[in-house]
Amino acid sequence: MFLTRSEYDRGVNTFSPEGRLFQVEYAIEAIKLGSTTVGIRTPEGVVLAVEKRVQSPLLESNSIEKIMEIDTHLGCAMSGLTADARTMIDHARVTAQNHAFTYDERIKVESVTQAVCDLALRFGESVHDEEAMMSRPFGVALLIAGIDELGPQLYHTDPSGTFVRYDAKAIGSGSEAAQSELQDKWHRQMTLREAQLLTLNVLKQVMEEKLDQHNVQLAQVTPKGFEILNEASLKEVIEAM
Amino acid sequence: MDHFPTNWGRPRNDAFDAYGTYPIHQRPQNGPKDAFVDGVQRTQQPIVTGTSVLAIKFKDGIMMAADTLASYGSLARFKDVQRLFPVGDNTVIGAGGDMSDFQYIQTLLDGLTIDEFTAQDGHTLGPAEIHEYLAQVMYARRSKMNPLWNALLVGGVKDGKKFLAFVDLLGTTYSASTLATGYGAHIAQPLLRKAVEGYENVLTEEQALKIIETNMKVLFYRDARSLNKYQVAIITEQGVRISESKTLDTHWSFAEGIRGYGAQTQ
Amino acid sequence: MPAMVSTSQPVQQSFNPYTENGGTILAIAGADFSVIAGDTRQSEGYSIQTRYAPKVFRLTDKAVLAVNGFAADGNMFVKKVRQRLEWYRHAHAKDMPIRAIARLIQTMLYARRFFPFYVYNILGGIEEDGTGAVYSFDPVGSYEREACRAAGAAQSLVQPFLDNQIYFKNQTPAPGTAFPKHLPLSTVLPLVIDSFTSATERHIEVGDGLEIYIVLSKGSTALQGLQTVRGVQELTATNDGERVFVIRRELKKD
Repeated sequence: MFLTRSEYDRGVNTFSPEGRLFQVEYAIEAIKLGSTTVGIRTPEGVVLAVEKRVQSPLLESNSIEKIMEIDTHLGCAMSGLTADARTMIDHARVTAQNHAFTYDERIKVESVTQAVCDLALRFGESVHDEEAMMSRPFGVALLIAGIDELGPQLYHTDPSGTFVRYDAKAIGSGSEAAQSELQDKWHRQMTLREAQLLTLNVLKQVMEEKLDQHNVQLAQVTPKGFEILNEASLKEVIEAM
Repeated sequence: MDHFPTNWGRPRNDAFDAYGTYPIHQRPQNGPKDAFVDGVQRTQQPIVTGTSVLAIKFKDGIMMAADTLASYGSLARFKDVQRLFPVGDNTVIGAGGDMSDFQYIQTLLDGLTIDEFTAQDGHTLGPAEIHEYLAQVMYARRSKMNPLWNALLVGGVKDGKKFLAFVDLLGTTYSASTLATGYGAHIAQPLLRKAVEGYENVLTEEQALKIIETNMKVLFYRDARSLNKYQVAIITEQGVRISESKTLDTHWSFAEGIRGYGAQTQ
Repeated sequence: MPAMVSTSQPVQQSFNPYTENGGTILAIAGADFSVIAGDTRQSEGYSIQTRYAPKVFRLTDKAVLAVNGFAADGNMFVKKVRQRLEWYRHAHAKDMPIRAIARLIQTMLYARRFFPFYVYNILGGIEEDGTGAVYSFDPVGSYEREACRAAGAAQSLVQPFLDNQIYFKNQTPAPGTAFPKHLPLSTVLPLVIDSFTSATERHIEVGDGLEIYIVLSKGSTALQGLQTVRGVQELTATNDGERVFVIRRELKKD
């Protein structure tokens, strides 16, 4: 695929004769290079876990931030070009706040996901005479977790602007192995604790290094709200594995 | 980054805010600006004016009447002006207030009718649609502090439904079985209500004509800005008929004998 | 200096984009229902423009909006609220809850802070938790949730009556008893009708017709009593459980 480059490789919004948008497909490829990220929905809440690749012993591992809060009831984990996710999460945050301002209620998980995906398709477009606001597709996939009146939900978005709801989903370099593991282990009545342990177990299996509290990050959305587990709580979960 | 999708660009509809979170009328305007906008004058008062328009419902439809005078202040300036205007096949509008604004409204409606005709989409504009359109135009203009200085009656019949409604320079709308604008709202409306309310589906065309004629006569005697020449529009399921101007049989001779009001010379 | 030269600045008689169209509205919240009512007279000065111009509008099966003041602004405002409700349904796949409608109305009114919609809004309906709710607004968007509110031409006649009969202001309970927190629909409906017949007697801008909307929460016990009321008509559109009814009555026309 990468060897047979054609003129359709260049334009971000030009279809190839086979009906493909190469730049979007490449962007989706970029995610497969990203660190593994896992999300699990349970009746008690949603758990998100990411692998942090600590490339050097001198690197401060807690400066790697791959799980972020969108609103008190919404969280997000990423894989791929994480810098791109900043723009998307910034937009998600503004959209969520704007909704709360205008309607005095928490935005639904699907609505905030839709808002992010609307942004994802804006590459190569310009407003009237202005510069295009984006030159290429985002190179990042997100797992958006949240709780609303429909209960705990987990959404996956990709650079094509497509979003789908999952019970459990893995993205990134180890996603294939991780996803089949999730398919084996996930069940409908899972507790939050079981989900925490499962995400870490799945990460452990696909990670090259030995998993510890410095090279993974764990977060959850429960009826109490979004929360990234601190090092002590994370360590406690790891020890319980 | 601009977080409001409404501002993002081409494929989006400017009038539709998918998230409903943005005060649309406050959206930054990217289009060209009119450099002379501060120099434009807006209508602050009517100049050449028409007085009352009357309209009632009767058995077969709507009857509307207006005299043919256009005054310049207290001067009876134009004595053969049409203040009733047919729109499409089912509707008549009648106007009081500024006559130039009314003639502008006629050009708007002509344009609308032509667009509707050329579309050939099986839709035709009925009185309700024309009234709604006029209400939006009038309200939009008042909101720009640049009103069209008129009070309009819209009457018609479509699909077996009689329609009669009012709209004015403020965008105020209402509907009733008898309507009158201007001086007529004070002088004729009570008489019309007494004659028509409860008999909307009984009154014949002849009876309705008689009521209208009586009221036009009353208005001629009581309204100093009126004339004893008027037109009547009759709108039924069959279509629109607007009469030639009729002259009322009026006499001021009775006033000769009146004494006691104001300064008397003898 | 010539005697005839005016020393004062030229005065321009400017166009006034507002008028008042009379009428009165009120709403009362019960434990599991809400009543929203308004007369149907529209007037300007001493002239009655029409005897039937509705001021109360069903927005959803759980929210009814009453609008009073400048009729053109009122109609436009209701139109815009309805448009926003439809957009919300498209974007979020549900009817907007009444609490959200209340906040939306505030943002819409305040967006026009410097060219206000000259309308007093009262929003009545059922909250997400099933309780009856009334929200009242001023023209620029200040709002609060209350148990009852009257607005419009006869506000000064009706509100004190409601304060006395709903909140039991200036009344003392019999020893050993307490006033009820919420009144039943069978008490509220006659209060509404009495409010309007009285306002019709004493205020020239009130009269002609009365429209009373009743919103019942899921499984409200007020249902049985309501169905026997003369001329009641159901307007419910969904199967969500909340139900909307309207009662139309004549008022004196003089």
